[in-house]
Amino acid sequence: MGQGALMEPSLEPSRVGTGGEARLVSVVVPVVERAEDLVELHRSFAAELDARGEEYEFVFVFDGGFAPPAELLALSQGRDNLRLLRFARSFGETAALRLGIERTRGDVILTLPAYFQVTPEGVSTLLNALTEDTDLVVANRWPRIDGWLNRVQSVAFNRMIAGVTDRPFHDIACGVRVMRRGVAEGLPLYGDLHRFIPALALREGYRVTEVAVPQHPRNARTRLYGPGVYARRLLDLAAFFFLAKFTEKPLRFFGLVGSGFFAAGAITSLVLLVNRLQGQGIANRPLLLLAVLLLALGVQLLGLGLVGEIIVHLRAPHRRAYRVRERT
Amino acid sequence: MISHAQAGHSGEQVDLSVVAPLYNESQNVAPLVEWILEALAPYPGTFEVILVDDGSRDDTWEQVAAASARDPRIRGLALGRNVGQTAAMMAGFDHAGGRAVVSLDGDLQNDPRDIPALLEKLDEGYDLVCGWRQRRQDKFLLRKVPSWVANRIIRRLTGVPITDNGCSLKAYRRDLLDRISLYAEQHRFIPALSASVGARITEMPVRHHARRFGESKYGISRTVKVLVDLLTLKMITTFRSRPLVGFGTLAVPMVLGALLFAVMTGVAVAEFRPSKAEALVFPGSALVCAAAAFYLLMLGLVAEVALHAERESANEIPTAWEVR
Repeated sequence: MGQGALMEPSLEPSRVGTGGEARLVSVVVPVVERAEDLVELHRSFAAELDARGEEYEFVFVFDGGFAPPAELLALSQGRDNLRLLRFARSFGETAALRLGIERTRGDVILTLPAYFQVTPEGVSTLLNALTEDTDLVVANRWPRIDGWLNRVQSVAFNRMIAGVTDRPFHDIACGVRVMRRGVAEGLPLYGDLHRFIPALALREGYRVTEVAVPQHPRNARTRLYGPGVYARRLLDLAAFFFLAKFTEKPLRFFGLVGSGFFAAGAITSLVLLVNRLQGQGIANRPLLLLAVLLLALGVQLLGLGLVGEIIVHLRAPHRRAYRVRERT
Repeated sequence: MISHAQAGHSGEQVDLSVVAPLYNESQNVAPLVEWILEALAPYPGTFEVILVDDGSRDDTWEQVAAASARDPRIRGLALGRNVGQTAAMMAGFDHAGGRAVVSLDGDLQNDPRDIPALLEKLDEGYDLVCGWRQRRQDKFLLRKVPSWVANRIIRRLTGVPITDNGCSLKAYRRDLLDRISLYAEQHRFIPALSASVGARITEMPVRHHARRFGESKYGISRTVKVLVDLLTLKMITTFRSRPLVGFGTLAVPMVLGALLFAVMTGVAVAEFRPSKAEALVFPGSALVCAAAAFYLLMLGLVAEVALHAERESANEIPTAWEVR
């Protein structure tokens, strides 16, 4: 990017030195599932950051139902660069990430899952990839050493998302990411959107790259979830799809579906009308009920879209669809 | 999406801001700048030119930065990604410090020499002066015919007598820009939106040139989208202050349907020996219609709640105009 350009502080990602200059790396670890030996996790990643000569702090955010292990608690006593936060009840990974981001000060934020997903050296690869031309780097676990069942799930999920994002990702839901503070604070993190962080950042106009990082041997265990988990993933995907395509024009979506129902209802009514004119009675035709139902459903969907449009319109003075990257 | 709006406009105070969105217009930047500066040479006040690079993939931004380095009155804005003409224009407006703002296309099809005339017209006491392209230099079937049809429909539906809604060359008073927020693809409906907040609007003929460099970014596919957007806009501007009335209107056919089926049920029961099916179909239809009407009224209430919540929030857009 152009040198000496004037940056707008409120809109620009934080200034980050690319070596030499002192910067602080905040490591945010949401503990929401599959918590492994957190002390060892802290030790091995801290060792890697030490070896790089980085200044860093660790924040573990424990979701409700997860208690900090005694050893980690003892380790955190009297240390500023290891803090433990705990939710009073379960709020989920997105909220945990958000809290971790809010409670840290680092120019660079490194998110890590509470288990070994990539090797500690992989984090160095990510930090190196966060150059001046990049705002967010997400790890792509490659080469993969886990079984085919895991890979099939991962590929299927990533393929489905690729249909919605501006650019395909290979491992979008990987919990290992490095980003500038400005990016982390600018993302709409709510619900279960943490799985889509790279795609969200791309939508906000940030520069996102994906870097291949070796998978950790402990990440190789085959994972199979209950049907409820997969159903929720699909719903997350649907929510993201809607968010990506129609948040500015809900009526285009509801209008399309609604007019489909309305048209079906209209055609059915027409058929019945022709039948009636030909002398057939329609009072005993359940088809009439279907026609009325379709028409009503069509109008209702249009109405829903209209409510959406009114809300978008009312919010318009406070929102902007653009983000300024650079000014002269 | 996306970032929150900055409070007010972040530009310095000048008399005039010229805003041009650019998307892959690398070759057009230098001639555009030269042309604007030439046209504004006799302009008595201070001015700035804001070039908005809407996430171009070519070297448009390098051209803009170079032009900006040569002349401090040229200011460049690079957007994070391609967000479309409406949002790019909004970016320019938000950063414009001019008491008057002129927007024009970045593809040299508008003529900056028309700017002084637009400003004169603005000074006659208008809030918005729209350009009306004379002898339009575009493809007949692909651009002019759809545009003519769309403009007729827009004029008919919105009741705002502007001939050429699609012309980017427009002059705005700052007051007006503070009152309208464009999003999605609303740049085509600026006159209608302005009229809905009470602006005084007029139009005047402007020149139009054929494209010299680069490619047009429009196709005919947008016509359908424009129509849908237009209907949306019509409904929003009509119902935004009293949504319950709007939804009530929408519910009227459903109520009529329910009454019709209720009468038919009565007739069926009175005149014939009601069989099982008759007993089900007519009253069933009546109930469906009644339920739909009820549902629409409830939706109207939801919209009222949203409206109320918005009114409660602190920074409301001013509705009264300064008397001139």
